[in-house]
Amino acid sequence: MAFVIEKQATTTWLQKLLECGEVIAPVRGPCGDILFSSVHSPDQVAWDFQNPLSPPKQVVLPQTDPLIKITRNAGSYEVEPVYDDGRRFLFNVRSCDAKGIAFLTQMYEMEPADASYLRRARSLTIISLACNKPCPLGFCICSGSGPFLSEGYDVQLTDLGESYLVEVGSEKGEAAISGASNLFRSATEEEVSQRQRMEVEAKNHFEEETCHFASAMRRISTGRVQDALWEKMSDWCLECGACNMVCPTCYCFSVKDLSEDGTWIRCRIWDSCQYAAFTLEASGHNPRADRKQRMKRRFFHKVSAQYYQRDGVVGCVGCGRCIKVCLGSTDMPAVVGAIRKGKWNE
Amino acid sequence: MSAYPTTCPFCACGCGFYLLSNNGQLAGVAPSENHPVSGGKLCARGWSAHEATLWGDRLRRPLLRRNGKPEPVPWSEALDSITGRLQALISAGKPVGLLGSPRASNEENYLAAKFARAGLQTNNVDFSYHSTCRPLLSGIGDVYGDRTPTASISTIESCQTVLLVEGDLAKTHPRVASAVMKAVENGAHLITVGYRTTQMARLSSLHLSVLPGDEGEVITGLLAAVFDLQQQNRTPAAAVGGGYESFCQNVKNIKRTAELQQAAEWIVRAPRATFLLAVNGGHGDQSRKDAATFASLAAISGHPERPGSGLLLLLPRSNVRGACDMGSACGHLPGYVSFDDEKARQRLQQLWSKKLPSDRGWEAEELLQHVSGLIILADDPPSVVPMGQRAMAALEKIEFLAVLDAFVTPTIRAAHVALPIASFAETEGTLTNMEGRVQRLRAAANPPGEAKAGWQVLAELCSSFGVGDACSSTKDVLREITQAVPRYAAVEQLPKDDWGDVLLENSDNPDFQLDFTGSQGVAAPACAERPYVLVREGSFDWGRDPLVYYSPTLSRDYQSERKLFPNGFVEMSKRDADARNLSGGRRVRIASAHGDAIVPIQLRTDLKAGVVSVPYAFRDHLASVLGPDHATAVSIELP
Repeated sequence: MAFVIEKQATTTWLQKLLECGEVIAPVRGPCGDILFSSVHSPDQVAWDFQNPLSPPKQVVLPQTDPLIKITRNAGSYEVEPVYDDGRRFLFNVRSCDAKGIAFLTQMYEMEPADASYLRRARSLTIISLACNKPCPLGFCICSGSGPFLSEGYDVQLTDLGESYLVEVGSEKGEAAISGASNLFRSATEEEVSQRQRMEVEAKNHFEEETCHFASAMRRISTGRVQDALWEKMSDWCLECGACNMVCPTCYCFSVKDLSEDGTWIRCRIWDSCQYAAFTLEASGHNPRADRKQRMKRRFFHKVSAQYYQRDGVVGCVGCGRCIKVCLGSTDMPAVVGAIRKGKWNE
Repeated sequence: MSAYPTTCPFCACGCGFYLLSNNGQLAGVAPSENHPVSGGKLCARGWSAHEATLWGDRLRRPLLRRNGKPEPVPWSEALDSITGRLQALISAGKPVGLLGSPRASNEENYLAAKFARAGLQTNNVDFSYHSTCRPLLSGIGDVYGDRTPTASISTIESCQTVLLVEGDLAKTHPRVASAVMKAVENGAHLITVGYRTTQMARLSSLHLSVLPGDEGEVITGLLAAVFDLQQQNRTPAAAVGGGYESFCQNVKNIKRTAELQQAAEWIVRAPRATFLLAVNGGHGDQSRKDAATFASLAAISGHPERPGSGLLLLLPRSNVRGACDMGSACGHLPGYVSFDDEKARQRLQQLWSKKLPSDRGWEAEELLQHVSGLIILADDPPSVVPMGQRAMAALEKIEFLAVLDAFVTPTIRAAHVALPIASFAETEGTLTNMEGRVQRLRAAANPPGEAKAGWQVLAELCSSFGVGDACSSTKDVLREITQAVPRYAAVEQLPKDDWGDVLLENSDNPDFQLDFTGSQGVAAPACAERPYVLVREGSFDWGRDPLVYYSPTLSRDYQSERKLFPNGFVEMSKRDADARNLSGGRRVRIASAHGDAIVPIQLRTDLKAGVVSVPYAFRDHLASVLGPDHATAVSIELP
């Protein structure tokens, strides 16, 4: 079922959403960067923007994520879970990022399911904005995560010029528009087919498929990537971990207690598989002490057939963030390209 | 979630990011595409910059030591105690002093220097890293005066040639390493000089392998080869420099190898080139000479005159340059002018309404040994200076020690009065990076407990000694800095809300005085008795810096290494070890002319044969072998 909302009516809709919960949207920050932030007024929401470097994964999986609270009483300890499950709307999130959150949820739903993550994710309504024009470095088309979505959203908006086509993908999506139902009307057939034409046109904007996962997958899954190639590539990595930090699908973490006056908050904190101590054992032994081993492991998890069979998707949504943040030059398309060709920078 | 734009507190690259806070508590870091240095790229340290402030062992209340035990006291009592004890020591004619810090802001360093010089009436002011980088600053100054043609990190990417005297750039300054990598990717020739085939050396077009201490010899050869080409090309660059006549004489007998001639060609032919010099903590006089030769090489190549080319001294800590500029450096007044510069002294006396002392004052390491009263601002000298144990022993003997810090450090534990101050994430202020870029720190959270901003505490101390006008905000302090340090005049215009920065006056057409007297290698000569060179590697130990030590993510490597090797280790080239039939982990006796020690060896394939290296973190375990040296000839035997 598709609806249409006039552009000027989105302000009223956002106001309604603000009455129902926290609205997190792309906002132009103090130094000109777009950041996903909590908004208090509809006019803060950016509609025309390049996807920010920092992904909205912070909303479901914060970099510092309190899990349980431990309190010392006289002679005993009390342990209680910390839930952060207030109703939230993630507004104007791009297709790749909506897919990223869907991927994270799939991972955290696996047994043993992660209650803290799931309560937060289940109280989040994702209102995505389809990409009429793909971003310059994006390659979402290679991993089936954009520029338009067929699933993975609660509501998907498409800019039709004067209005937005509104596709509802879930009950949470229905609830998000039902509170302001007078602002939405049913879409006409022409409007729906206009959206289909826009999707085709957006896909045509990708000049060439920038990231050939399929052929890289064949090589990496069958151990046909030479060790010398990993070694060579690893010299172009500066171990910043930025690829993990900004990746909408990276979800590895470490745990550390924050303590203050007889209370401890056990926190989950983002971690990077590219850091030397990520696999460090208590004994001091490190099974992946060399950078090339860590790099190989990262791409095996992201791109191998073994994980593709389990998860149904590659561990990349093609947002292109790693290209921008990599201190070296071992971003996803560069490494996938090298694996496919069997050579690096030659 | 709120986002506060601020400057990275770790190395001197001066990257920028947003600190994220949730309900007033730090929660993470977000990169900024618009930042002039980092442009969205951060290293592992930057990505975890919020962690130490959050997880660190924070000082929350002022502590006063009574009967050997630190007890919480009100701020007024702690400050009165400092004032009283220092005044008593001064009245008794005992020497007092102060250490500033490259971990503190410009505002904090300025007020600290002002407090010491005008309030305590002493020039015993320094910071503990100064003695390591001063020779290099002086060497470059010998050639360029105070108008060094500093390169900008962002323009390195478009250079065709990069000369890098290592260090280990990929580890010490990842943002600069990133820019060099981009240049190499774009086809630039990278020339590296060092005793280790580092990551950058592996990416280089030419790696000039030298023994520790012999870097100057290679730079000299390169200088001579560049000079030849300039002569052939009749390039006038050389002619404008002072000291040209004696330079021609000195350069005559230097050996030019084919490798050096190739490197020289790349340097001379490149439309743009960058010259990067690491701080390796070598012997003072030799380091100064080597730095002067390096600067002369840059000067004679003609590059520093061109936009997009330049020279960068790879300072390790975020605000080394600021600490120097603010006057927290021995032998220098604010502006990094000599302490006997009469004009500067007059200006400061007028500004501070106090007569200033005229002696030079002690450098940090001497100061620790000699003063009876000492104030330390945000630093832990034993973890910084080359002879750490000696510094710790000195700290424990000082009659009165007051320390201002955000974190609990060994120095804080030795203090008679410990004052809790805000961390970089909880205070306003400015930092000056290695390019001379002055940028803002912004508070993203409140300091814990009763902790106050460092500048506020120092302003109160100044006022208790009747020094200058009261400063009620960092804006006031910054305004005063612009008066005390004319080079900082434009900093008052530093935008409040934007990433905006102010680049200190740079010289596109610098005058220079060639400074070259024939630098010879100083590596301890290998002899049958002591065939290896033991070198103290690096000049800074991030593992003991509170911003790393207290970060759960950043400290893992360092902590595990210390746990595995409680008595340290040395690294040896695998080739040397194989020749001696020594396996990794084997304990050996290392002996020099100074003394000996028994330590395990780790085998490395990237280390030059003949070199044995001790990581800076483990230098104290080899103190008896190294003595006061940075590199020394040693023998290795089974114990």
